[in-house]
Amino acid sequence: MNTYTIRAFIPPLPRRSIPLRAARRYAVQTPGAPTMEIFSSQHKWLQKERAAANADASRSVDYLRDEVASRLCERLLDINRHFPQVLDLGANACHIGRMLTQPSADQPDAGPRSNRIGHLLAAESSETLLYRDADLPFNAALNLTRAVLPTSETLPYAPNSFDAVLSSLSLHWINDLPSVLAQINAILKPDAPFFGVMLGGDTLFELRTSLQLAEQDRRGGVATHTSPLADVRDVGGLLQRAGFTLLTVDVDDIVVDYPDAFALMKDLQAMGEANAVLGREKGPIQRDVLLAGESIYRALHGNEDGSLPATFRLIFMIGWKPSPKQAKPLERGTGMFSIKDYLEGTKKEGGGGEGSGGR
Amino acid sequence: MPGRTRPIDKLAAAAAKCTKEGSVYGKCIMADYNNVHKDKCITEFLKLKECYLTAYKKR
Repeated sequence: MNTYTIRAFIPPLPRRSIPLRAARRYAVQTPGAPTMEIFSSQHKWLQKERAAANADASRSVDYLRDEVASRLCERLLDINRHFPQVLDLGANACHIGRMLTQPSADQPDAGPRSNRIGHLLAAESSETLLYRDADLPFNAALNLTRAVLPTSETLPYAPNSFDAVLSSLSLHWINDLPSVLAQINAILKPDAPFFGVMLGGDTLFELRTSLQLAEQDRRGGVATHTSPLADVRDVGGLLQRAGFTLLTVDVDDIVVDYPDAFALMKDLQAMGEANAVLGREKGPIQRDVLLAGESIYRALHGNEDGSLPATFRLIFMIGWKPSPKQAKPLERGTGMFSIKDYLEGTKKEGGGGEGSGGR
Repeated sequence: MPGRTRPIDKLAAAAAKCTKEGSVYGKCIMADYNNVHKDKCITEFLKLKECYLTAYKKR
């Protein structure tokens, strides 16, 4: 008996699909520690493929990713440097590439942001999503190459090969974040930066809480409908563990107003950001729960004008690969100037710019 | 897909016609949302569902 299943359309498990020779990596996990599997990467891949197959619907929900990619590019421009080789890891539909072709918000006359970039390599595991905008005019405006990754958790690049690595709104689906960050650190050249942004913390707390309350009341229990997310204070530790120095971590909230909770869920699905937690309840949410959840959302979090807010908390992270050339803190005891004198001096003068003990 | 209404659109349209019952139910849950148990607001929910079903069938 032949068993033709949907399996034919799902790529084989990542570990089997990589040839042994290519699977040698510099960054490996501590032996013996089991890998936590939280998200189903196959299911996430399938969701992204399906979402991108409907290009119009997929483009109509680009608002969030475009805005976040634009904010990330602004951070890149803060570094006064030219980056010949840049990797965009987890590119989705090349939102960073598109935002790089637009001028910076701070200097509208300085030309497109991509002047600061030599070559951008956009890597993404979902082929349909990656090539969705390959025919649009912005592709000609910068030196962009697309690459389909066999899995989003192993990076098939040589160490010390990129001048910067960017990642926008894809790290929150990674199971083994310490390993991926360590691999990013390995493929960066010394003294090269990593810019990342991921969803974290209180993202979508309105949807989560109202669905939880609805399920409590309707079914007497709670199922997983939103991902577990990293918090701001975790990210600093993660970057440090991966070997980055000079860390910067900060938080930005984007609140989007939706007409109803169903519009929010539809948009999330069209982004390919639907629930892909391994322990999720299979099948759709019950209609009773949806109906109850929508009413609770409106009562608990709704705006006065009848719209429903949805919070997206963005955690921006910047880390540098260590290099002997980098500025380092001075050794303890080498300070020749007392900060106490300086602070007391400024207080007497009424908080003036330069203290009495200035050099 | 053209010419086909997604189930979630039908659900949203029907639910939008029951905002009054919805807000009564929402307020019932919100009154003590730290202590929610099964069927805490069953009477309010049944009214909401009845309204929703009528609106859903009318289309």
